[in-house]
Amino acid sequence: MNFGNLALKNLWRRPVRTGLTVLGVALAVAVAVSLGGFNLGYKRAISNSIERLGFQVMIMAKGCPYEAATMMLKGGTGLLYLPEDTKAKIETDASVSSITPIFVGVAEKEASSIRDDAAKSFAIVNGIERESFVTMKPWVRFQGGAGYDGGRWFSDTAETEIVLGFEVAEYEQRKVGDDFYMTVTPNGAVAPVQHKFKVVGVLERTGSQDDGGVFVPLKTAQKLFGRANELTIVGVKLKEFSGVKLREFEGRWLKLPEVQVVSLEQVKGTLVSLVGTAQAMIAAVALIAVVVAAIGVMNSIVMSVYERTGEIGVMKAVGASRADIFRLVWLETLLLCVVAGAAGCLLAVVGSGAVEGVIRRLIDLGVSDSLVLITPALLGAAMLGAVVLGLVTGIWPAWRAASLHPVEAIREGE
Amino acid sequence: MNNLSPLISARSLTRQYRRGAEVVKALDGVDLDIRAGEMLAVTGPSGSGKTTLINLLSCLDAPTSGELSVAGRRVDGLPESELVAARRGVLGFVFQKFHLLPTLTVAENVELPLLFLRRPADRAETLRVLETVGLAERADHRPGEISGGQMQRTAIARALLAKPSILIADEPTGNLDKANGEAVIALFRKLVTETGITVILSTHNERHAAACDRILALEDGRIKTAGALHS
Ligand SMILES: Nc1ncnc2c1ncn2[C@@H]1O[C@H](COP(=O)(O)OP(=O)(O)O)[C@@H](O)[C@H]1O
Ligand SMILES: [Mg+2]
Repeated sequence: MNFGNLALKNLWRRPVRTGLTVLGVALAVAVAVSLGGFNLGYKRAISNSIERLGFQVMIMAKGCPYEAATMMLKGGTGLLYLPEDTKAKIETDASVSSITPIFVGVAEKEASSIRDDAAKSFAIVNGIERESFVTMKPWVRFQGGAGYDGGRWFSDTAETEIVLGFEVAEYEQRKVGDDFYMTVTPNGAVAPVQHKFKVVGVLERTGSQDDGGVFVPLKTAQKLFGRANELTIVGVKLKEFSGVKLREFEGRWLKLPEVQVVSLEQVKGTLVSLVGTAQAMIAAVALIAVVVAAIGVMNSIVMSVYERTGEIGVMKAVGASRADIFRLVWLETLLLCVVAGAAGCLLAVVGSGAVEGVIRRLIDLGVSDSLVLITPALLGAAMLGAVVLGLVTGIWPAWRAASLHPVEAIREGE
Repeated sequence: MNNLSPLISARSLTRQYRRGAEVVKALDGVDLDIRAGEMLAVTGPSGSGKTTLINLLSCLDAPTSGELSVAGRRVDGLPESELVAARRGVLGFVFQKFHLLPTLTVAENVELPLLFLRRPADRAETLRVLETVGLAERADHRPGEISGGQMQRTAIARALLAKPSILIADEPTGNLDKANGEAVIALFRKLVTETGITVILSTHNERHAAACDRILALEDGRIKTAGALHS
């Protein structure tokens, strides 16, 4: 017989009451773990969608529009350019994970479509450095199927090879091997020049601005537009993406003259406000659950102490000190909370899996990642929380039990 | 301590209770000496102060005034923490209601005090003590499965296991029928004879009192008669 053993036996005395109390705490822990797991899953989803954007930060010339619509409206005239060595400068920043230079130009296209409303249209030409662009956007794939098979990137020096974004190819009805005409007025020149390209690949839909662009090697684009050694955008992916890191990075590079650092506002907003609100809400709900459970535990243990008044008196009579009784009751509370914590963790893991399974069967989530991400660290934190809950809620009942006077206790117990 | 000096000695022992504005003198100036190996009965009508006296002699309660020595140690005026130390291993208790833990077996109940005395339990020793009280074959039963007489004998075994020099019992037969009550008194007598333990018990029952070496009759917190039945 030891204190732990005795504590367990005492708990076992009222299996229904102990069971209900354990259930209450277990549910609170399960709620906290599930919400925490949802929070983690949500954060992961956000960081994945940030991943999908490729770069999170763009370095551009001051006053340069960067949205496709703005570029179209201005017919490309609004575009401003950076010296090509800007990329090399920014590459030295320790927080940069990857970097890619992009030249953007707007070309006119002849009405090559069978659609008669497409008398004249524009194409956004992206001059890219293939290798760093692919590193930045590793998910970009070529379309397959009849007419598209064999799609590939152009060689770095190719002057007449072009890759089309999904929407451009669809709109222009182009497949691999087809010709593609573009008309460009080079910088400083008056007369437009028509160029003929061969389509070497069509990209799968990405859901981003890339779908509406065409891609040629960086050097080719620079030559086409008569702007050697100039860039439109330097795309940057940071090693660690957070509001703080972003502001630090901005602070460092805004010092360069003629440069603006454009971070994807919606990404920053999402990170800062949405996660913040969600976390506050989740914390509030979990806190309420835990407080309710704590009251339940205290009530249950105080009741059991009250019922055992006589017994506690006898234990004191036969030699138990105040500390012994305190320890015994404290241990009972702790055991109850630890068992409940473990049950709650199990419930959260099994429960969230089951709920997600049902949801997945009903609707297509479009993501393969689970919605709720329960990590060992989260479970560890939950168990630690249960231990702390036991230690804290046990103090009051244990103190009350320890303070019972043996004579009074024995009399009351009779 | 030699054989001549008493094991327990009380002088002007007084215990008052406050009941609102009123002060109740539950025990009023009791003088008492108890020798080692004695079997003493405390008798008196209900409310005469038996339990109050027993609690003081057990070091479970502190006197309002007066002097009290137990096993050579002055215990009046000691705080609760030191009273715990004073009774550990010296005093064994038996209560009218047996106060056994219902989830523990008979043997585990008997061994319970060892947990608080930080002594390891020795099942062979436990069984030997259960043998003394005639319960060896009930060791693995739970309190709910044995009779009232057996529960009281379990409580006596619990009091004996730590080998106290004094066994104190407040109305140990109060909840027992005639036969079981007499068996408990006979057991006390056997223990006194065989082990030399000192037994102090309170009782309503004159036959039980008469079976002791000496009777201390209380009335309104004072000693009415104190006489040796056997010399
Ligand atoms: N805790 C207490 N508070 C107030 N009065 C008490 C208390 N305990 C006992 N008394 C009173 O002291 C007197 C003696 O009680 P007690 O020692 O229990 O007598 P007995 O055991 O002989 O029946 C009684 O009048 C009782 O009401
Ligand atoms: Mg009494």
